[in-house]
Amino acid sequence: MNIAHKPDELLSGVELSTLSDKELMKLERQIAEQHIGKTPWLAIVWGFSNLAVWLSLWPLVFFGVMPLWLGFLIATVNVSICYLPSHEAQHDIIAKPGEPLRWLNEMLGHLSTIPLAFPYRYLKVTHMEHHKNANHPDLDPDYGTHASNPLAAIWQSIKIRQPRMEGFTDSYAKTAQRVGRADVIGDAVIYTLAFYSILIGLAWSGHALEAALLWWLPRHIGLTYIQYYLSWAPHHPGTETGRYKDTRSFKSLFGNIGSAGMQYHIVHHLHPRIPLYRTPRAYWEMKPILEARGCEVHEL
Amino acid sequence: MTYLISKIFYFGPLIFAFGFVMPLTAQILEQTGWNSPLGLTPLLAGFVLAAVWGTIAQIRGRWI
Repeated sequence: MNIAHKPDELLSGVELSTLSDKELMKLERQIAEQHIGKTPWLAIVWGFSNLAVWLSLWPLVFFGVMPLWLGFLIATVNVSICYLPSHEAQHDIIAKPGEPLRWLNEMLGHLSTIPLAFPYRYLKVTHMEHHKNANHPDLDPDYGTHASNPLAAIWQSIKIRQPRMEGFTDSYAKTAQRVGRADVIGDAVIYTLAFYSILIGLAWSGHALEAALLWWLPRHIGLTYIQYYLSWAPHHPGTETGRYKDTRSFKSLFGNIGSAGMQYHIVHHLHPRIPLYRTPRAYWEMKPILEARGCEVHEL
Repeated sequence: MTYLISKIFYFGPLIFAFGFVMPLTAQILEQTGWNSPLGLTPLLAGFVLAAVWGTIAQIRGRWI
């Protein structure tokens, strides 16, 4: 088959149930290839402008131009959406090593997660292990977010962020160590110390409320949102492992945009180099193949 | 250096309590004009809350 064909042409007249796994994989890859290699300019602009807006909140609130309650609402949105551009960079979607825009890929990855106070290299190393071992109780660093229902997932996210609870900070550090990347734990230590030093510095200089409402609380809300939509919802119930079983599509009350573009997360796990904005289209084109594979794609 | 950093993380709940919860409580009390129980100053009320909550968090390993 010709990869220049449109996806509907690729699958027209094909009885998928008669195809072998190898033939299904070939079709799946042909569809995926049509979405890979497109520069996600929206994610690039989003990552940098989101950081700029969040940084601008500080002088705007400190000088009384913007009320603190409004700054809090905007900061919460900023922190909640700051991870995704970095996620595109983690998968080298903007540019692979050696490509001309590689510097932009790395710059976006490093800068966009500053409001989240998490370092890019640490997130990248652990995220790659999540992809390799999704839903594995010992090897998936995000396994700690597993929970039986949506409310339990929110509570679980809050619980695993407590100082000595297992399932998040400890599992990320253990994962980095296990794969021989203990160096990135140093990044996380520096970010954490810097984050709390800034909060404490602001608090004792008379700006505790600003620190709490522009960074500390938005970060907690953002982390809960991110863990809910990126870790829990697309992997629930999270009882199976394997390429076609560890992820699903799901229907969100808040739509695809409101759920951080994660309704079609199964496509991301199958083909991580497809940009986020192309995953809905790739999903609908690929859905007959996913059904033939026995994937959990019944909600959408 | 590693020893120092591990100690900072170990005592994280108490550091956060006195470093952040205490001045935050004081500033919330000041902003809202709420009178502290027993006539404590806002900073002293913040200190009491930080000491109690921070100690509990330090022992239990969780804030909530």
